[in-house]
Amino acid sequence: MLDIHSVFAVSRGVAIALTLASCAPPPQPDETIRPQLYQQWQVQPGDTLNGVSVIGGLGDIGLSLNGQSVYAPFPGRAQKDPRNCLIFSTPDVPAYLFRLCGLSNLRLGPRHQGEALGTATILHVATLRKQPNGTWAIVEPSKPIIKRFLTRS
Amino acid sequence: MMEYQARNTGFNASGIKYMLAGGTVVAALGLLVEPQALMSKIAPAKDVCQEVIQPQAVLSRDRLSQLLTIPERSNKEQIRQVMQAPYCRLPDLEVRAGSTAKREAYPLAFDPNTWLVVMYEGEEYAGYSFSFRR
Repeated sequence: MLDIHSVFAVSRGVAIALTLASCAPPPQPDETIRPQLYQQWQVQPGDTLNGVSVIGGLGDIGLSLNGQSVYAPFPGRAQKDPRNCLIFSTPDVPAYLFRLCGLSNLRLGPRHQGEALGTATILHVATLRKQPNGTWAIVEPSKPIIKRFLTRS
Repeated sequence: MMEYQARNTGFNASGIKYMLAGGTVVAALGLLVEPQALMSKIAPAKDVCQEVIQPQAVLSRDRLSQLLTIPERSNKEQIRQVMQAPYCRLPDLEVRAGSTAKREAYPLAFDPNTWLVVMYEGEEYAGYSFSFRR
């Protein structure tokens, strides 16, 4: 016969597990994505030349932030790529991704507009536009879109 | 602590029943939390309509599936042929330097709290997204 105390413990465990499972946040806030780039330039961020790391490439806007925060320009989602750059996507701007490299204290997952995404000393921002073949082309960003990352809106 | 007490006071069968019932209620309450709030990966869009075009506009499954077959960077006209007038126009954006992005919103007929947002840059269709509204 089943010990009454173990029945109690098991039922309480099941109740807690169910409660936790139903309240838990989505399980993939730190999901890594790898947007495939349209351009295949010879020198790319992440490369090493004579032992020196390439931290920015053609199409990256380099910003001297001196430890300042960077903010979500729209409500959206922060993911990261294999180089630990933050990839920001938002339903407010269909067909675009923003790649932010150089951030510390990355804040991944769903982000409200104006929420911090991280801090940086030197930040490299690339604007990626979706192409018909599913690749992402680095394009020239506007000043207003870059400014939105620098101000808490 | 409670189990220790239970052992010492000769915990009876009806007490167990209450405990089981309590646990079930807690679990049920957990399940009652709105699942969409937990599932949605993205906070609702903050942008509001700048101009309502067609207050009754909704997007059918059929038109949605047609839209999804049109590749990005197609001519705007291709989209126009598939879609009717949008519910509204969202504020213009400048994402790329020198190019104004225009956005139109269509509530889904089968889920009006979700909007399909279509974006154009000049005469080009840039792409779409799904935006969850409160």
